Amino acid sequence: MRRLSFSLVAAALLCIPALAADPIKIGLVNETTGPNAEAGSYTVNGTKLAVEEINAKGGILGRQIELRIEDNQSTNPGTVLAYSKLTGEGGITAIVGPIRSTQIQAASPTIQKGGIPALVGGTDPSLTKVNNPWIFRVRPNDSYSSRVIADFGVNSLQLKKWAIVHSTDAFGSGGMKALTTALQSYGVTPVLIQGYTNNSQDYTPIVLAIKKSGADILATYMTNSQDLGIFAKQLRQLGVGIPWVGSPSIVTDTAMKLAGPALFGTYAVADFTPGSGAEAKSFAEKYKAKYKLDADVYSSWAYDAIYVLKNAIESAKSTEPEKVRAAILAICGWKGVEGLYCFDKNGDGLHGYNVVRNENGRVTYLKHIDFKD
Amino acid sequence: MEALANNLQVLFQGLALGSIYALVALGFVLIIRATNVVNFAQGDFAMLGAYAMVLFLVGLPGNADLGIPGFETGVPYWLAIILSVVVMTLIGLAFNYGVYYPLRNRSFLPVLISTLGASIFLQNTILAIFNPQPRPLEKLLSSDGVTIGGVFLDSQYLVILVFTVCAVAFQYFFFEHTLLGKKLQATSQDKDMARLLGIPVALMIAITFIYSSVLGGMAGILIAPILFVSIGMGSIIALKAFAATIIGGFGDVAGAIVGGIIIGVIESFAAYYISVPYKDAYAFLALFLVLLFRPQGIFGEKVSEKA
Repeated sequence: MRRLSFSLVAAALLCIPALAADPIKIGLVNETTGPNAEAGSYTVNGTKLAVEEINAKGGILGRQIELRIEDNQSTNPGTVLAYSKLTGEGGITAIVGPIRSTQIQAASPTIQKGGIPALVGGTDPSLTKVNNPWIFRVRPNDSYSSRVIADFGVNSLQLKKWAIVHSTDAFGSGGMKALTTALQSYGVTPVLIQGYTNNSQDYTPIVLAIKKSGADILATYMTNSQDLGIFAKQLRQLGVGIPWVGSPSIVTDTAMKLAGPALFGTYAVADFTPGSGAEAKSFAEKYKAKYKLDADVYSSWAYDAIYVLKNAIESAKSTEPEKVRAAILAICGWKGVEGLYCFDKNGDGLHGYNVVRNENGRVTYLKHIDFKD
Repeated sequence: MEALANNLQVLFQGLALGSIYALVALGFVLIIRATNVVNFAQGDFAMLGAYAMVLFLVGLPGNADLGIPGFETGVPYWLAIILSVVVMTLIGLAFNYGVYYPLRNRSFLPVLISTLGASIFLQNTILAIFNPQPRPLEKLLSSDGVTIGGVFLDSQYLVILVFTVCAVAFQYFFFEHTLLGKKLQATSQDKDMARLLGIPVALMIAITFIYSSVLGGMAGILIAPILFVSIGMGSIIALKAFAATIIGGFGDVAGAIVGGIIIGVIESFAAYYISVPYKDAYAFLALFLVLLFRPQGIFGEKVSEKA
């Protein structure tokens, strides 16, 4: 009898933590150190803002969110390690990050082995097409950014002689290929396609090549804000003034600060634009109030990722990976700060971009272009 | 005509970037000569110089997590440069006594590792004090540059070229025509002999560290308006500068300058004529060819064993 009551007490004790609603653990694989540490700090800001809001309102299913941030040192091996560490320690419901396509590519097998949902921000289209059921993308992929760039340049600006400048990393090359394909559907073959490696110090040869090509419109897929800043300045110094439509990186806060007037008048596709809707506007205001910084894509995508998880876990009423996975795939018609989410079978949540313009250092919203397929 | 202008443009960019490599390479060489060690933190001196400028021109953003208060400064540009040089002097001194001096009687490997550690330490310290955002820095001159015959001459690049010529001239005068310079040379050639002649070797090495720290810092201050101020800016320059010291002749002063300019010009023209993405490869291909056919470098003497 004594032994029985002892076991009962022990069993009861074991149950207590579960009854006290232990937190839902969400991992964040982030670029805390290394060359992308700057962007990484914004991602942490956006993530924390969402987590604090949700926790203040009672959490998810009555459980608080506990954020586990793991540094990937801005490298591919670092990302793989961070994923192994988070998936290996158990008890984590889902992992957010990173935003770099090349790092996600490297970590893809680890994500698959880990068997918990990974919400990523890399925009290389192939990431969600490698039969990895655990990768979800909470940003529109580059096949959309490139289709929007092509649609805007050819239909709205009516320009047909394209020059494409791209970084040779996975993001830049992926974007360049997708844009070339998108332009082909309008019967346009670019007059110049020019790659460069990240952290190049001089872009004069590229600018001279653009001049020589006679292009009347420039499209760019550039990764780092420093590279963008140097390129933009040299472009203006050497007198190239053709319309420029860039990937989202050209409207980041830092790129605009570094390049200054050299980026005035440029167009960009952007997944996050404060002027694009009420959700985006409210997020931008809360972010500014809390961090004294302007919200940008590095913070907004992570903010949405946490809310996508909240919605999924609530509709699944469970933190079991399989159920959360199915619930994410079922999300359709929910409006986040980046746009209207409707997950397709590949795990892509967004299917369009905003087109914005840099008007004397202020990003103004022009239009939203969404695709059905 | 346009082709000529384009070639001159490419040459100008190459010379200017090459000058920056040369300045950092010069710092490498002086320390190699004085201590027989490659200072892996040489590029970080450039980064520190640029951040010192940010500190005096703009201020400190502050870091609440570490209890570092933020403040704004706003001293004139010329004063900011002088203050930054003072900061670089102190950093050179601290580097000498913190990183090199305790290990001076050990073989070169522990010292090498020590400088590598210092490099990581410096980068992460700056990351903690300033936030990771890269920052713009104003140019020295208010004009952006001038266009002559279709060639755009960036004012900052002109400043860099003028400074490099002056620095090289000063260095020549200093080492060949002053007593202190000769003492430094004697120290780098043979420490034991220098000591026997009554030259304070430790002091000479400290001066060398200060000098290369200031030189590296100036390289950073000068290039920052072009490449912006960022934590990683030094590492990118240092890699090329290191290649320059090898091409020029390991430990040769003239070689470092020529090597730096060769690398700058080669990568500029290779990018223009052959391929932009592989431009770094051409700089290192040049390095490879030099190592293969003239391992002692352009100016290096053939020394089989430095006894």
